[in-house]
Amino acid sequence: MRKRLIGAVAGLATLVLPTVNAVAATAKTIVTTKRVTGPQAVADRWGYVEVILVVKKTTRIVGTHKKVTRKITNVLVPIYPNHTDRSVFINQQAVPLLTNEVLTMTQFNPNIEFVGGATATSGAFAQSLQAAILQAKKI
Amino acid sequence: MHRVEHVMGMPIVVAVRDGEVPDEVFDWFRHVDATFSTFKEESEISRLRRGELERAEASDEVQQVLARCDELREETSGFFDIDAVDGDPSGFVKGWAVDEAAAILDRAGVTEYGINAGGDIRTRGRWTIGIQHPLERQEIAQVVEGDDLAVATSGAYERGDHVRDPHTDEAPSGILSVTITGPDLGTADAYATAAFAMGGRRAPGWTARLRGYEAMTILSDGRVLSTPNFPSA
Repeated sequence: MRKRLIGAVAGLATLVLPTVNAVAATAKTIVTTKRVTGPQAVADRWGYVEVILVVKKTTRIVGTHKKVTRKITNVLVPIYPNHTDRSVFINQQAVPLLTNEVLTMTQFNPNIEFVGGATATSGAFAQSLQAAILQAKKI
Repeated sequence: MHRVEHVMGMPIVVAVRDGEVPDEVFDWFRHVDATFSTFKEESEISRLRRGELERAEASDEVQQVLARCDELREETSGFFDIDAVDGDPSGFVKGWAVDEAAAILDRAGVTEYGINAGGDIRTRGRWTIGIQHPLERQEIAQVVEGDDLAVATSGAYERGDHVRDPHTDEAPSGILSVTITGPDLGTADAYATAAFAMGGRRAPGWTARLRGYEAMTILSDGRVLSTPNFPSA
């Protein structure tokens, strides 16, 4: 499985596809970025590995000549066995996959039926949102 | 209807959309408390911790819980480790007890229910859940909506800095809370505890590679990092 992943990486890295397309005479460059997810692979007895490649595709059109180049700009390893110190570093590579927002207070949402949070003691619960919502809703 | 009882040192809410909450559910929680409480001198866990009971002689359910805690230590690289808290499995028992209570409700034919055990929640059917703001306790930071969910949160904002990194015995830094969702509340709770103990630098990357579980990590600098399929409403 490992061989297969490395093969896929090498294949993408060297992929240059010159194609000829008639029509326009002016120079034009189109750049797009895509993510390619590899299959989850078993790494012996250590668990699973998954690799995501971030590929930048540049299409350069000059007159009738069109040239496409693809470059791997990042390699992410979102799933990786967690048995070594090195894996902690590799874990950080997965961070770009997460959505990143800013902590806010949400508007009052009348649909809320339960309130979750870090373990509530009874003292805290007595004045907690959950108690208030239960009173308000009479579920 | 809903029922609230104070069991296992916390308020437990069981809500159903139709019918009654069976007595069996709270009988079960009281049984778990009697068996696993570290505050009850005669519980099996207390006897195990004092060395009066061998693990091999413990009841099947105690052995099952301890075996799962061993697995979770491996799955979390030692960040969830009951040995670091003198063999107290409470961090897993609460979620596990709720999972078993959910099975009782399933067997009783209840099709839409929610259980909230001190802020950790398990639902059947579609429910809307607010996640408490880690700094402004009377506010909601995020709304979660989904079918058949377990939702567990670990943070420093209720019982003080009670979660520590078992490797260093330090309180985690750079992190306010971690919420994990998935099919199983015991596992979600252990993952949330482990990720929180990892601190703000390690936790987000670790949660990104969990299988079958989604996560929302709130960092001390106010960033909220969620895995792509976290069930935000």
